[in-house]
Amino acid sequence: MMAIRELKVCLLGDTGVGKSSIVCRFVQDHFDHNISPTIGASFMTKTVPCGNELHKFLIWDTAGQERFHSLAPMYYRGSAAAVIVYDITKQDSFHTLKKWVKELKEHGPENIVMAIAGNKCDLSDIREVPMKDAKEYAETIGAIVVETSAKNAVNIEELFQGISRQIPPLDSHENGNNGAIKLGKQTTQMNRRCC
Amino acid sequence: MADNLPSEFDVAVIGTGLPESIIAAACSRSGQRVLHVDSRSYYGGNWASFSFSGLLSWIKEKQEKTEVSEESEDWRKLILETEEAISLSKKDTTIQHVEDVCYISQDSAEDIEEAGALSKLPDLGGSDTNETAQQSGKGCLALDKQLGTKGCEMSPETIASNDRECTPEGEDTEVISERESSYDATSGHSTLETEKTENASTAEVSNLEPKKITYSQIVKEGRRFNIDLVSKVLYSQGLLIDLLIKSNVSRYAEFKNATRILVFREGKVEQVPCSRADVFNSKQLTMIEKRMLMKFLTFCLEYEQHPDEYQDYKDCTFSKYLKSQKLTPNLQHFILHSIAMVSESDSSTTDGLKATKKFLHCLGRYGNTPFLFPLYGQGEISQCFCRMCAVFGGTYCLRHSIQCLVVDKESGRCKAIIDHFGQRISANYFVVEDSYLSEETCTNVCYRQISRAVLITDQSVLKTQSDQQISVLTVPPVEPGQPVVCVIELCSSTMTCMKGTYLVHLTCSSTKTAKEDLEPVIQKLFILNDEKETESENGGGLEKPRVLWAVYFNMRDSAGIDRNSYDSLPPNVYICSGPDCALGNDYAVKQAETIFQEMFPKEEFCPPPPNPEDIVYDGDGTQPEDPGFSISPEPKAEPLPEESSNIENKVTEEHNE
Repeated sequence: MMAIRELKVCLLGDTGVGKSSIVCRFVQDHFDHNISPTIGASFMTKTVPCGNELHKFLIWDTAGQERFHSLAPMYYRGSAAAVIVYDITKQDSFHTLKKWVKELKEHGPENIVMAIAGNKCDLSDIREVPMKDAKEYAETIGAIVVETSAKNAVNIEELFQGISRQIPPLDSHENGNNGAIKLGKQTTQMNRRCC
Repeated sequence: MADNLPSEFDVAVIGTGLPESIIAAACSRSGQRVLHVDSRSYYGGNWASFSFSGLLSWIKEKQEKTEVSEESEDWRKLILETEEAISLSKKDTTIQHVEDVCYISQDSAEDIEEAGALSKLPDLGGSDTNETAQQSGKGCLALDKQLGTKGCEMSPETIASNDRECTPEGEDTEVISERESSYDATSGHSTLETEKTENASTAEVSNLEPKKITYSQIVKEGRRFNIDLVSKVLYSQGLLIDLLIKSNVSRYAEFKNATRILVFREGKVEQVPCSRADVFNSKQLTMIEKRMLMKFLTFCLEYEQHPDEYQDYKDCTFSKYLKSQKLTPNLQHFILHSIAMVSESDSSTTDGLKATKKFLHCLGRYGNTPFLFPLYGQGEISQCFCRMCAVFGGTYCLRHSIQCLVVDKESGRCKAIIDHFGQRISANYFVVEDSYLSEETCTNVCYRQISRAVLITDQSVLKTQSDQQISVLTVPPVEPGQPVVCVIELCSSTMTCMKGTYLVHLTCSSTKTAKEDLEPVIQKLFILNDEKETESENGGGLEKPRVLWAVYFNMRDSAGIDRNSYDSLPPNVYICSGPDCALGNDYAVKQAETIFQEMFPKEEFCPPPPNPEDIVYDGDGTQPEDPGFSISPEPKAEPLPEESSNIENKVTEEHNE
């Protein structure tokens, strides 16, 4: 039985670059043109094998809080990786990508794995951001970079495989959750036994 | 990135403190279109947590007495003849008497700054979050403003990778150099490069001499701190825990169980035995005392079934009742101050029994004490509810001031708000945190005050083998009439302070300024001066912890204010109070639920999220612990506190497989 490691991944990037679509494609292998700003699904999970471990990605969506630059610090807590998304057809979204990276470095965990996704690569005829620019930038910050198309399912799996490979192996003395308690539903139902 | 705010919502919520955030989540969850704004650059209002540098900025802002510059009243033009405006306050006046004291040398700390520090809190007018700021040469600050976090909070390690933080890692080098250049280019903040090297050397030093923490280390490691303005814990059977679980907001947060309850008696700090195992393992109790205590606590669990036992003392104080029982002074003290945590002078027997029962009832659900503390601080909780609101479609805007409420003269109802851009935003219901109300609205309101102190110390008030203890300590008044002081000591694994330090929160209801109320207690528990030699004199181990740094402030306690005391409030405007003085969060939850039910009497308050078929519950690890006071004949082996916190009650959501 392979050990399952839960890895929190947070998504960053401007509104409308396709953050949710990427997750939707990765997790459900599904694309919806009219995906509404994420309602009711705060994170999605998918488990993929990596070496002798199973990586269970808990992918957090911004829930639209990025729209007016009001992401809460708790969004970044304990993230193993961040996927920072821009739209290859919008130079602006590449420009602000750098601000998201900076934000992440200032507020995110120190060892976070960064992956840059240039989304909408199916629309390369109206491309505004050359792949070279993204590659150069990614190199300077030590991030993975791929161009993706959530619509045509291009490089989505590869993006997450790339993240998996960058995740440092689990230290044997690491005890997983550091004794932290997750509250769960069942406790309420069962605790009545106590007294 | 510039995006226009819609101008029509169902509910507008002003302020991101806990009750407002719960209401926002509940409204959004029930399908309302919610706008949630805060004029500050951070979430939480007076419920916020700050990094060390964030707290220093907050202190500076609160100490500045400068009047808010008179803003243009252009918005008045937007008010129609059939309307009138209730202007909102431009300045938060809920914090007073802020005083910070550093007890260690600040030499060589002048030029040091925490990476990512927010050097200035935004002015209340709010500022446009656009390119202009970025180009003005204040890159760091501009970024903070643009990206909307308070600029400091990021205890960097994941919980899972906690151990990684102390190993200096080579693979980050290129990242660091990028950081370095970007900082140099912007505001001259110290670079993470220096921070890292410093971290490494700190780790080495601390192996040799664990107790010397310098001010510059605190500043550099400032992002490891998450310092709560309000110090609370969650009762493991309290309303907030129930709400977190019911609404599934709990999945956004992680908690630690408080590991011990302490008592201050005859100049000494001692641990209070409260579970069955604690009682039996206690070295400070005699065999007879153990039996007495067990018998009494077992009775308290079902005191309602035995009214005859306390009938005669119903109208007496609980302390008098305890004296009448066959309890030694030692035990009376434990029960009164640390278990029931009620006032010696004016709590009735019934109050005391009820409080004792509540305490015992909470034991064992998650560990050996009744209390949980959220990792990264109490400020996380309101953010979690905000996230839930956003997940169900709520719109979030920090740094967004509201100038006024617009009231329709004929109906007397509030119909819109006007923001600092002059945009008119209409809604049906308005929820306003009370610090936003202007003086005119509050002329007839009387407030109480809370006295607060936050200390960074170098050791625990009660040292044990484990340096990772979370302790709740009640210090009874020295003289009658003085307040009872609640002390919560947090260790670094709560992600609220750097390694090698403790964060100590003191809270009481004010009788004077915070410093006057709390300093006497601090002097009893800690060493305040900077004399380095005192340590070696008394043979180390028994020495009291030293305070490295402290801040005192008074916070307004607006809990329990009747809405009729506010002047001319439209019926569809609901007021939320700031934090109250109690240890738990029940007041905020009750308030939020009451307001929600008034607005939407037919709607359920924060029901579980939809698509239950997507949620798979893991079956493992869900056996609750026995609190140790059930009447079961066989006493169960109680795990040690360290172990018990590992017993997690885990729910795994599988949205998709």
